[in-house]
Amino acid sequence: MTFIEKTTDHRKLRRWEGNIEADYIYTSGLAGERFFTELRKNGRILATHCPRCDLTYLPPRMYCERCLAELRDWKEVPATGRVEAFTVARLDEEGHEAPEPQVWAFIKFPGIHGGFVHIVAAPEEKVKRGLEVRPRLKPQPLRTGEITDIEAFEPAEH
Amino acid sequence: MKVGIIGIGIAGFRTTTPELSWKELTYEAAAKAYQDAGVDPRKDVKAFVTCAEDYWEGFGIFDEFTPDQIGGALRPVCTVCGDGIHGLATGFMQIQTGLVDVVAVEAHSKISDLLTYEGVVQHALDPIWNKPLRGHPFYVAGLEMNAFLRASGNTEKHCAAVVEKNRNNALRNGIAAYGANVDLNDILTSEKAFDPLKKLEISGLADGAVVLVLASDVAAKKLKRKPVWIKGVGWANDSPSLETREWERAKYAELAAQMAYRIAKVKNPAREIDFAEVDDRFSYKELQHLESLGLAKKGQAGKMTANGDTALDGKFPVNASGGSLGCGDVVEASGLHRVAEVALQLRGDAGKRQLDGVKVGIAQSWRGIPTTSGAVAIMGVNQ
Repeated sequence: MTFIEKTTDHRKLRRWEGNIEADYIYTSGLAGERFFTELRKNGRILATHCPRCDLTYLPPRMYCERCLAELRDWKEVPATGRVEAFTVARLDEEGHEAPEPQVWAFIKFPGIHGGFVHIVAAPEEKVKRGLEVRPRLKPQPLRTGEITDIEAFEPAEH
Repeated sequence: MKVGIIGIGIAGFRTTTPELSWKELTYEAAAKAYQDAGVDPRKDVKAFVTCAEDYWEGFGIFDEFTPDQIGGALRPVCTVCGDGIHGLATGFMQIQTGLVDVVAVEAHSKISDLLTYEGVVQHALDPIWNKPLRGHPFYVAGLEMNAFLRASGNTEKHCAAVVEKNRNNALRNGIAAYGANVDLNDILTSEKAFDPLKKLEISGLADGAVVLVLASDVAAKKLKRKPVWIKGVGWANDSPSLETREWERAKYAELAAQMAYRIAKVKNPAREIDFAEVDDRFSYKELQHLESLGLAKKGQAGKMTANGDTALDGKFPVNASGGSLGCGDVVEASGLHRVAEVALQLRGDAGKRQLDGVKVGIAQSWRGIPTTSGAVAIMGVNQ
């Protein structure tokens, strides 16, 4: 077993380039359909509630993570959330220094289990845990029923 | 049924391996493991477990390509979409059923072949709720570090101390790709990446392969090998959802450890375990994992590190191997490498990084951003 001879001339080493081509549709499902339709049409953010566990899920889902019950109660999420954790991303998608740093946060809402992980449109010095933020939506005609309909979160005092 | 490790083979780790295909790299590790175990894989090894993930490799249903280079062609092969310790647990269970008595477990990394690493990790985010927002996916690590440090009271300086320790430890490890004589200040003043995470706090990627040979006590005796015993295994997942997962604690590690401690009958981990190899892909993860495994009290892992308690000559050495920060991030092979390091220590084969008089060690893995899954294995010299 194993190699008796090995090469030491790296000019002789060959390689080929290729890729995996794969296209998908991502079906948003029952919960996603209702959430994104409401977001697009009326600019409202909805969550689903488990009466057994008393948890209101955001993003909404059709089953409870804890007790696995089917969830059929929909509730509106309060307009203002708070920054729970945040970071300043200074590298771009290729791992190089980004031209502009971007603040990301995990945003929680009162009474909601979950929240949003999203971009905060505010100077980094301004972002602290507890900062009150609101979603900034695209104008209704430009909304497409996707998570990007929320452009970013802004400090609520705006 | 007792199960032990009777063979260890490691190939790499290097930042690139242009002279070998991934199959040849794995073959090299396999050859070493089988020689170490004194087995003929075509006669003595009854089943094979391999760990693989399509997108790291670049071909679909990749796990189908794993049997031949480890001697598994025309044999029972089971592939695990998981980390190496998930694979170890699978092999452990196969032997415990009595169906087979010698199993080879394999995991590897040829990550240098992947030209769009960030894209693959990004692709692991939820395609409906997270991925469309773009961004380098390590913002998840920045968020977690932010939450963990605040909740635990550990500091950025403590995290930098982890990097200093592990990269220096790696200088004593022949297989390490990133051994370096860095000091605390080098880390603290390095480029910020995903605040508070700095560039030097992120493990560099590396190619490598690990193969272990597991055997039942009866088989080990027949093969005249003294095994390192697997005393317990555990694995767990938190919710994969970014929004409903636990950000402050590594719950997957807590639960995996609980399971392993139960099987190994460990009641007081900090006292009954002598050393640990835990995931440190990002500096803060070592501290978080130590606290999750109950090896450090809440908020104390940083202080332990700063005091030198987790150093090679400390009270409780952690990542004597150099960890991922020092050896390189070998993706799904990371956990199996940690197991190999624990086994080498328990056998007295850890060379310049050998710890004195260790009898029980723990290895823990995490599958990396954006996962919330991990596994634990506890090994000991005594049955």
